[in-house]
Amino acid sequence: MDVFIQLIVNGIMLGSMYAIISVGLTLIFGVVRVVNFAHGELLMVGMYAVYLLFAKFGLHPYASAVPVVILLFCLGMAIQRFIIQPLLNADEHIQIFATVGLSTALVNLALMLFGADLYSVSAPDVRRSVTFAGNTVLVGQLVMLGASILLVGGLHAFMQTTALGRAIRATAQNRNAALLMGVRVDRIYLVSFGLGAACVGLASALVSPLFPATPTVGTYFVLTAFVVVVLGGMRSMYGAFAGAMIIGLVDSLSAYYIAPDLKEVVYFAIFILILIFKPTGLFGFGRGTE
Amino acid sequence: MTHDATTAPAAPASAGGLLSALTRPQVYMSLLALSSILLIPLISGSPFLIHVFVTICVFAALSSAWNIVGGYAGQLSLGHMMFYGIGAYTTALLVQHFGLTPWIGMWVGAVIAATVGVAIGYPCFRLRGPFFSLSTIAFLEVIRLLAIHFVGFTGGSAGLIVPLQIGWKWMVFTDKANYLFIAFALLLICMAASLMVRRSRLGFYLTAVREREDAALAAGIDNSGVKLKAVIISAMLTALIGAFHAMYLTFLEPATMFSLGTSIEVAMFSLIGGLGTVAGPLLGTVLVVPLAELARGWLGAQANGLHGFVYGTVLVLITLTLPAGLVGTFGPAVSRWIDRLPGGGRREALRIAPALRTLGGTKGETILEAKDLVMKFGGLTATDNVSVSLKRGEILGIIGPNGAGKTTLFNQISGFLTPTSGTIAVRGHDGTMVSPTAADAFARLGVGRTFQIVQPFGGLSVIENIMIGAFLRHPGVEDARAVALRVAAVVGLLDVKDVEARNLPIGALKRLEVARTLAGEPDILLLDEVMAGQNQTDTMGMVELIRSIRDTGVTVIAIEHNMQAIMSLSDRIVVIDSGRVIAEGDPKEVVKNRKVIEAYLGEDFVDAQGF
Amino acid sequence: MNILMKAALVAGLAVSATAATAQVKIGALYPFSGGLALLGDESFRGLELATEERNAKGGLNGKALQIVKGDAVDPNQAVGEARRLTSVEKVSVVFGTYSSSLSIAATQVTELAGVPYFELGAISDPITERGFKNLYRSNPTARDFAASMVDSIGEAIAPALGVDAKSLKVAIIHEDSLYGQTVAGYQTARAKEKGVTIVETLPYSAKSVDLTPVILRLKSANIDVVLQTSYQNDTVLFFRQAKEQGFKPKAVMGAGGGYSLRETAQAVGYENIEGALNVDFTQYKTNAAAAPGIADFVAKYKAKYGTDPRSGHSLANYVGANLFFDAMASAKDLAPAAIRESVMKIDLPVGSTASGWGAKFNEAGQNTRVSPFIMQWQGGELVTVFPPKAAVVKMKTGLGTN
Repeated sequence: MDVFIQLIVNGIMLGSMYAIISVGLTLIFGVVRVVNFAHGELLMVGMYAVYLLFAKFGLHPYASAVPVVILLFCLGMAIQRFIIQPLLNADEHIQIFATVGLSTALVNLALMLFGADLYSVSAPDVRRSVTFAGNTVLVGQLVMLGASILLVGGLHAFMQTTALGRAIRATAQNRNAALLMGVRVDRIYLVSFGLGAACVGLASALVSPLFPATPTVGTYFVLTAFVVVVLGGMRSMYGAFAGAMIIGLVDSLSAYYIAPDLKEVVYFAIFILILIFKPTGLFGFGRGTE
Repeated sequence: MTHDATTAPAAPASAGGLLSALTRPQVYMSLLALSSILLIPLISGSPFLIHVFVTICVFAALSSAWNIVGGYAGQLSLGHMMFYGIGAYTTALLVQHFGLTPWIGMWVGAVIAATVGVAIGYPCFRLRGPFFSLSTIAFLEVIRLLAIHFVGFTGGSAGLIVPLQIGWKWMVFTDKANYLFIAFALLLICMAASLMVRRSRLGFYLTAVREREDAALAAGIDNSGVKLKAVIISAMLTALIGAFHAMYLTFLEPATMFSLGTSIEVAMFSLIGGLGTVAGPLLGTVLVVPLAELARGWLGAQANGLHGFVYGTVLVLITLTLPAGLVGTFGPAVSRWIDRLPGGGRREALRIAPALRTLGGTKGETILEAKDLVMKFGGLTATDNVSVSLKRGEILGIIGPNGAGKTTLFNQISGFLTPTSGTIAVRGHDGTMVSPTAADAFARLGVGRTFQIVQPFGGLSVIENIMIGAFLRHPGVEDARAVALRVAAVVGLLDVKDVEARNLPIGALKRLEVARTLAGEPDILLLDEVMAGQNQTDTMGMVELIRSIRDTGVTVIAIEHNMQAIMSLSDRIVVIDSGRVIAEGDPKEVVKNRKVIEAYLGEDFVDAQGF
Repeated sequence: MNILMKAALVAGLAVSATAATAQVKIGALYPFSGGLALLGDESFRGLELATEERNAKGGLNGKALQIVKGDAVDPNQAVGEARRLTSVEKVSVVFGTYSSSLSIAATQVTELAGVPYFELGAISDPITERGFKNLYRSNPTARDFAASMVDSIGEAIAPALGVDAKSLKVAIIHEDSLYGQTVAGYQTARAKEKGVTIVETLPYSAKSVDLTPVILRLKSANIDVVLQTSYQNDTVLFFRQAKEQGFKPKAVMGAGGGYSLRETAQAVGYENIEGALNVDFTQYKTNAAAAPGIADFVAKYKAKYGTDPRSGHSLANYVGANLFFDAMASAKDLAPAAIRESVMKIDLPVGSTASGWGAKFNEAGQNTRVSPFIMQWQGGELVTVFPPKAAVVKMKTGLGTN
C-alpha cells in the first residue's frame, strides 16, 4: 500500500512534467492547427539555453526562465513567420514535413555544437527531496506541479478575459469567421506560436534541474506530449492538464505493476482506444474526425 | 495499326494497342528513364553503386506503395514501416524456423501485413489529418515495443540474422547484380500497381473520398471500403519490399525494421516528388537518396551532425519552395516538352457511351416511403413526424420557409442522417421495399442527391467530377468517361469539361452537382435548390432538363425557393414549416392554402388580404 | 554478361590489385555521425594512433598503411559503406565498428566479398557465431561482460561484504535495445549456472524519463546487488532517483555504457556514484603490471588529441589494431587465407598488452584470452579494483559517500 501511494505521488509529479511540456503544444495545435513535430526540439533548445546560462553566468535554472521564455517566444514567432505561415494554405501534410525537417536540423545542430554528451545543471536546492508520510518528492517536482497549475489557470484566464485571448479563441474556433470579424489572423497565429514556444521555455527551465540535456532529449517527450494533447481534447488547457495527469499515473503504475518496458505500449493503447471511441478526446471540444 | 486513330474505337490490351502505346512519348520516355536505374549501376559494375541503386529502388518502391494510401487516399500514415517490418520478420522467421524460401515467405508476410492494415485502418479511418497520423505512429511504436519485448519470438533487440545460404532459392547472392534485378522488379511492380490504381475506378474513388467524403457517399462510394482497398494494396506491397530488403541486409532488428524515422522519410520522398502522382515517389527518392549519400560522404567527416543539419535544412527549404512537389512544379513543362517528341500530342479515340440503364417498375407505384420521421438535434426538433410518400415518375416539389427542415428531410431520405425515430423504405431493383442504413447504400439503390451547398471535387476536372458519379453504374474508366461526356452535353458543361472544378462559377457548379448525380443514373433524383444562383435562361434550361429527366422514367424530388419554377414543374407539392408538413397536394390547391400563405408571408399579411 | 561478371569479380580482385602498390589501404568503418558518433570516433582514434605509430616505424613491411574512412549510422548505411570500401576503395582489410548492429550488417557484406574484417569493439556474441571465415574479433563479448559481472558477485562482492554469495538478492535491470538485452540475457544464463539468486529482471527503454517504478520494485524486493546495463541518460536517472527514493543496495554494477563516462558521474554527482562498480574494456586507472604500456598509450593519445582519452574504447581499438597489424605483417601476402593462417598463429599470454588482454583466436575468429576488468568509481575516478593483479586500489562496499 505504501508503494501504491508513492506510485500515485510519483505519477502526479510525472504528470505535472508532461503537463508543462504539453501546454504549449496544445496552444499551437489548437490555434494554428499545425502538428508541430519540432516541439520536442523547442524543449531541447530551451534546455541547452538554460545550461549555457548556468555554465557561463552561474544563473540558477529558475532565474534563467525569464530570458529563456523570451528567447523561445522569439524562436516560436520566427518558426511561424518563416516556415509555417508560407505554408498555411498548402496541404497540411506539407506543414508536418516542414516541422519534421526543422526537427532534424535542430537535433543535428545541437550535435554539432555540443556533441552527443549530456549536460546537466547542478541545482542541489531543487533536487532536495521532501518526505511526508513516508512518501518522497523533490522540491523541483513540487515547483513543477505548482507552476503547471498556475500556467494552465493563467492561460485559461488570459484566454477568457483579455481581448487578445478572445481573439485567439475566436481564431481557433473558426479562422474564416475570425477573419470576417476583423481579427488579424496572421498576427494571432504569430502570437500563439510564440506563446506556445514560450510555455516550452518555461518548461525547459523547470525540467533542466531534473533531467540532463542531450541533442535527442526532445524525442523522449514529444510522442508523450502528443498523446497528452489528443487525450485532453486538442484545444482545452484543462483537458491537456488532465490528460497529462492520466498519462503520468498510467506511466508510473503500469511500469510497476506490468513491466517497465511495456508502459509505452499501455499508454499508446489507451491513446488509440480513445481516438477510436471518443475522437473528441476525453474532455474535448476538439474534433478528432473534423 | 492501319486504321485511323481518331475514328476507331480504342481496342484495349490488344497487341496492336500495346505496340501503339510504345510509340507514345510518355511511354517510351518513362521506360527509358526507368531503365537507366538498372543500366547505370550494371554498366559501372561497382558494387557500391549497385548498393546505392538497390537502396533507391527499395525506397522508391516503398514510397510508391505509401503513396497509394498517403497520396491517393490522403491518409498520412507515418507508421508505414510496420508493414515493412511485418514482411521482413515473417519472411526471416519462416526461413529460420521452417526453411521456407523467402519467395513464398514474402507472400505470407504480405497477407499478414494486409490483415494488420485492415485491423488498424478500419477503426482509424474515421480520423482525419493529424489524428490519423498520430494513431499510425502509436501503432508503429506498439508493434516495435512488442517486437523488442517478446525476445523468444523475434529475437528481441539483438535481432535476427538471416543465414547466408547462397542462391536464388534463398534470395542471398554473392553477385550483387541479382539484388538489383529483384529490387528493380519490385519497383516496377509498385509503380505499375500505383499506375493501375490511379487509372482505375478505385483511383478516382480515392481522390473523391480524399476531397469530399459527403459527395463521395452521395456518389455511392463506400468510403471505408475504398480506403481499406488502398491499405490492403499498399500494405502488401510494403511487406514484399520489406521481405526483400531483409534478405538483402541479412540482418533484422526492431529499431531498423519498425523505424519511425524511416516511415517519415518514405512519406517525405513522395511529398518532395509530388503527392498523389505516379512518378512523384520515384523522383523524390532519386533526388534525395543520392543527395543524402553525398552529403554524408562530403560532410560526415567534417563535423558531427553537420550533414544531418544540412539534410534537415534542405528539407525545410524544399517544402517552402516546392510545396507542390517536383511533379506539380515541373510536371506541366515536362509534359509539354514530351508532347513535342515524335509520336506525341495524339488524342485518345472517343468511345461510344453505353446505353442508359432502363428503369423498371410501374408508373405510379410507391417508390420511396418515409414514415413519421423525427429528427432531434439536442433540444431542437428539426423534423417532427414528417411522412412523405413518393410515386414513381412524378415530380414532387418541397417548399417551405428557411429553416423549415427541408434539407434535414433530404438528409434523412438519402441516408446522410439517421432519424431519431421513423422509417424510410426505398423500392429496390427487385421490386421489394428495403431500408438501407448508410448514405452510399442509398445511392447504390438509386437515390441520387445534390447538395444545397455545392460539393465539387475541386482538384478534379469537370469531366472527372461527373465520372465519379458515372462509375456507380459503369466500372470501366472509358465507359464512365463516355457517359460523363454525354451527361456534360445534356447539362451544358461540355465547353468547360477540362476545367478544374474549383475554378467554376457558382451557376456552373450547381449544374455540375446535377450532372454528377445524373451520371449515376438514379431512379430517384433529390435536387436541393439547384436553381439558386442561376440566371433566367439557365433556370428555364434547368426546368426543361428536369422535365426531360422525368420523361426517362426518373422520379424527382426538388427543394426550391424559386416559386414560379417549382410550381410549373411539380406534379405535387409538399409544404413544410417548423419541421411539420402543413400542406400537401396539387400546386394550384397548395398556393391557395391559408396555412401556406401564413407560413410564407406571416399572419398579418393573410388577414390584411382578407383570406 | 561481361559487365556482370566483372562486377562480381571486382571484390575478389581487390586484394591482389592493392597488394601490388606501395600502400596498403585499410578500411575504417565506424559511426562517425549520428547518435553513436562520440564513442564511434573515440574507437577510431585507437585505430588511427596504431596506424600512425606503425607508419612511423616503416609501415607494414615497408608499405605505408592508408586509412579509408567509412561512416555508418544505421545497418543500411553500414552495408553501403562496406560495399564502397571493398569495391570502390578496394581496401585489403576492414577495421571497425563499435556498434554491434552495424558490425553484423557490415560483416555480412565483407564475408561475401571475401575481405577480412577485424572487429575491435562490438560486443554482441552472434557476430562471431555465424561461422564466418574472414572475421576476427579482438575484444571481449557480451557473454564475457555478463560472466565477469555475475562471477564478481561470488568472487569479489560477497567476500568484501563478508557474506555468503547465495544469500545475496540480485536484480538485473537493463535498457531494452540490443546492448542491454544481450548482456542481460547472458547474465541470466550465467546466474543460473553459478547458483546466483536473481530476484527481479526489469527491462526498460533507454528513452525513459522516469525510473522510479523500477527503483520501487527493487526497493520492495529488498535487493542487495543491482546489475545494470545502461546508456548515459538512464544511468543518470537511476542514480538520481535511487537516492531520492532512499534505495541503497549493497552494490551496484554497470556493464560499461553510461557507467564508464565521466559526464555520467558529473551529472549524478561524484558523491552519489562513489562505490559504483563497472565492468568494461580496460580503462586508464589500471595497474601497469597487468597492462604493460597503458601509460605510454595515454601519453601518445594526449600528444595527438590534446585531451585524456574519453573512454576505454580507444585503448581497446589500439590494442586490437596492433594485434592484427602484426598478423598482417607476418602473413606471406594479404590474401584472406594467408591472413587467416597468420591470425591463428597469434599466441600472447593474458597481461601482455596495454589493455591487459592476451590473444589466441578460436576457429570462429574470437579472441579467447580476453576478459573485462572490474572497476569502481572512487573519489571521482574510475579505478580498476579486480582482479587483484590489475587493481590499483582495494574495492570498497556500499554506495554513495553519505
